[in-house]
Amino acid sequence: MGPSQSDSTSSLAKSRVPMPNALSIEHLSFTYHSYVQKQCESLFENLSLQIEEGSKTLLLAPFDKGKTTLAKIMCGVCPKYFPGTLEGTIRVFGTDLATLEPWQLLSVCSYVSQNPQEQFIANSVEEELAFPLESLGLGREEMRSRIDAALQHWGLDRLRTSSEQELSGGERKRVLLAATEAIDARFWILDEAFDDLDQRWRDQLKEMIGKGNKTVLVLASRYLAEFDGLFDRMLLLDDKKVVSPPQQQLLSRFSQLCQDDLANPLASQVCTPPDVRQLVCTDLVAERRRMSTLEEASFKVHVPHFSLQSGELVTLVGPNGSGKSSFSRILCGLDGYLSGFIKFDGTSLSGKELSKKVGYLFQNPDLQIFLPTVNDELSWSLRRRRDLKQEEIRRRVAACADLFGLSLSDTPATMSYPLRKALQAAVYYLLDRPFYILDELDSALTYHTALSIIRDLRQNGAGILLITHDRQFAKRVQQRTYSIEKGRLCEL
Amino acid sequence: MTINTFVAGKGLLYRFDPRAKLLTVILLCIWFFLPVSLVGLYTVVGLLVLVGALNTGFSHIAKTFLSILPMLLFMVLFMPFNVRDGESLISIGSFTLITTEGLEQATRLAGRFIGITYACTLLFATTVMQEVMLALRSFHLPYKAGLVVTLAFTYIPFIAESFSQIAESHSLREAESDQGKRIVQRLKDLVPTLTSALVVALRSIPNLAMSLELRGFGSEQKRSSFKDLSSYRHPFTHTLLSCIMLVVFWVLFRVQ
Repeated sequence: MGPSQSDSTSSLAKSRVPMPNALSIEHLSFTYHSYVQKQCESLFENLSLQIEEGSKTLLLAPFDKGKTTLAKIMCGVCPKYFPGTLEGTIRVFGTDLATLEPWQLLSVCSYVSQNPQEQFIANSVEEELAFPLESLGLGREEMRSRIDAALQHWGLDRLRTSSEQELSGGERKRVLLAATEAIDARFWILDEAFDDLDQRWRDQLKEMIGKGNKTVLVLASRYLAEFDGLFDRMLLLDDKKVVSPPQQQLLSRFSQLCQDDLANPLASQVCTPPDVRQLVCTDLVAERRRMSTLEEASFKVHVPHFSLQSGELVTLVGPNGSGKSSFSRILCGLDGYLSGFIKFDGTSLSGKELSKKVGYLFQNPDLQIFLPTVNDELSWSLRRRRDLKQEEIRRRVAACADLFGLSLSDTPATMSYPLRKALQAAVYYLLDRPFYILDELDSALTYHTALSIIRDLRQNGAGILLITHDRQFAKRVQQRTYSIEKGRLCEL
Repeated sequence: MTINTFVAGKGLLYRFDPRAKLLTVILLCIWFFLPVSLVGLYTVVGLLVLVGALNTGFSHIAKTFLSILPMLLFMVLFMPFNVRDGESLISIGSFTLITTEGLEQATRLAGRFIGITYACTLLFATTVMQEVMLALRSFHLPYKAGLVVTLAFTYIPFIAESFSQIAESHSLREAESDQGKRIVQRLKDLVPTLTSALVVALRSIPNLAMSLELRGFGSEQKRSSFKDLSSYRHPFTHTLLSCIMLVVFWVLFRVQ
């Protein structure tokens, strides 16, 4: 990078000359490179977008329509690290993005990824915040004051030495938001920033966006109640372009694109389980340890009573880091517990036995699908059963693929996120577990897709425990709700 | 995409200067290849394990041992068959299976492997990565090279963590009748687990590169440092102590 580019960075960062647009995109077209014979479909065609400096903009986009790709293009990391063919011009505060390297945007533009895990580079919360400030060459005192303020603001002070893998999804998201606050760039690109956050932190983020003087672009694939009155402008990514019809029309079109205008798939479902099974936890106590910190090193989960019956649909809500995932891992036999009982139809089961009764759909489907084709994925578990003949396996796999809208010859690695999520659910559907735990199923899926998956999993009368932060989603599904706070679970 | 290897604690090793610790680990790795007696080698390994258990806890030490156990067994089981020198210990007819020399070399190899593993593990378990980085830089390693070293030491556990997560998810996908798997099936199951871990690791590379650049890596501006090593007040004393300790071990345990 020559000196001229370094100069352009500093001028970008320091310039306070009023500029009409923080971001200007003209005639953008983008297509990912394909690694298979089938050509990828273009994500954007002749897309144009202007974001005024100081504005608060919401860009709504249905899932899998290129929202995250657009954010990465704005940050200059796509197609650099995610190869594809890009045409058009992008200007950030008047400077052509093609002449800049991504690191030159550090003090100008901050990006918060939809998936916080992919953005962590350091080994502790404090180091994560310190890294970009070190890159900016700030003095130690300045760094300390910015880091302390951001950690305190996002309730992470006691977790400053914790490592990323010991944090919950919401805590990870808060670390990224704290880093964004500490960097103090002029333009924030927040991709699904409200996801994973509980109500307290959603309210705080809302306040931060609304009251600050930053240019903020929030990209979202669902319209949340928190968005009401927060933005100056709402845009929609529709048919490979950004459009801005009047708000009512935009929301109606968005709802149509997300299939939210369709009837709730669960509304008409009558769930009559052939056998009524029961999963009960009594006086369960478990302890989790954070290895990387002496503060809050031990975290206890206490469940006085929990029950789930065949055909039931129960939600589990609770703030970030309250123990939802810890409880789920115990319930499906992945982690042990100190005392108490988990009984299936009145019988205590070992962890291994529990894992065969309770299916746990991880939030990230990529950790649960691993074979070359959909057919391989769906038949993997069935082939290991000695009681099933080849013909029966084929029949079950074909019927399941049909139910979940999957093509047996597709390659999971190249499938869209909602399809990978559907495949993950289909795999469990074939296992025919009596109970399922769905961890943040709604995250990155439309309500309709998520509800359809629940409907399909319940078809055989399974009892479902759904973990969610989204109150709107919880309202659509819940029959009973459990809440967990500071590790203690109780029924609401 | 990175995994912390640090285990919080208050033991002596946590107060030991990171520069001295880094130097000690390098010197220990060399020491293990010096001509020392087997008793001496295992005494030093035992001391390392003891120091480790006192500082990071017995469970961490046990976990470390379990993680290297498969490779250790592989080495110890196959090494004796490759060495033909020495007296015959076990033979089938006229064919010698294991010799004294083979057994001695396998035992020595295992000792070195355990020793080096614990030395490195204790460094990263008792020193936060930024201090390891500062220690590397104090030995005049360029920043980028230091970052590569520290990233490598966190990326390997990341792959291991991905592997265990994927193995967990596979175990959750087993059919109800799939109880008590045979060893052949277990080995077969390793293939898709390893493949998935590799795919996860490969997929994370562009994300890691993206995140580093978005956090300013690559900038020509001189980086500042949030931490320094000034809280460690006796680097020279600690380094001297380490060197003396290693010399004493050498004098005590060298092969005469």
